[in-house]
Amino acid sequence: MKLLRSTGGGFGFQFERRERRLLLGILQLYPLIPASYHRLSKTADPEQVAADQKLLDEALAAQKVENQRRLLAMLNAPGRFKPEADGYELTLSADQVDWFLQILNDVRVGSWLKLGCPDPSKEPPADPTAENVHYYVAMEFCGTVQSLLLHALDTPA
Amino acid sequence: MAGVVEPLVLPDIEQDQQSDVRSDLAPGFLVICWDDPVNLMDYVTHVFQVVFGWPKTKAEHHMLQVHHQGRSVLTRESLERAEHYVHQLQKYGLQATMERD
Repeated sequence: MKLLRSTGGGFGFQFERRERRLLLGILQLYPLIPASYHRLSKTADPEQVAADQKLLDEALAAQKVENQRRLLAMLNAPGRFKPEADGYELTLSADQVDWFLQILNDVRVGSWLKLGCPDPSKEPPADPTAENVHYYVAMEFCGTVQSLLLHALDTPA
Repeated sequence: MAGVVEPLVLPDIEQDQQSDVRSDLAPGFLVICWDDPVNLMDYVTHVFQVVFGWPKTKAEHHMLQVHHQGRSVLTRESLERAEHYVHQLQKYGLQATMERD
């Protein structure tokens, strides 16, 4: 996958056929970060912030439902992945890139949590098993796509 | 006139109480981002830029603080503003909390 172009209005990314298939499969994991992962405070008495914590949990849950709806709409939009000789071209606006980064990061962090929070700087982090190997793939692939999108945002039109 | 003594001014023992009242009125919550080894450094910088509108250099400074020191105090705000920022940061998947200053 690579950045094809950066214009004032958006970006074009090239995905090979297998990369597109992998991306679409991995995105089905969304949302992956459990609600219990996000706390309002580390020091406050949980009973005292219970009401605010509940509001925060509800806001994040509503956000994820909306993201799921938007993700399906985005991926199914006609022409989103334009077939080309070498694969597909994915076109995204700058706002869509920022939003898509959130989705990918949720799957990356969620996969990392499912794997027991291994230190990514250590090679290998742990022995993959048949049960968890897809989380390794998802974590690494989401990171690669995120790096591509961040590079695009830094590339002048 | 030599016998005239200036009134002795004693320390105001209620001063601390007044300070407490003032600090209750002023913004008093720290928004903190905690280290998560899985988040990409460039991603964290990007999130700080978007959420706070910071220039890249300032966002990178705080990202490096998170990376090296395990946490960074991003801003000090009122309760409502701090909640808003924590929600925004968590929406992006970062570990952020608000702590009373």
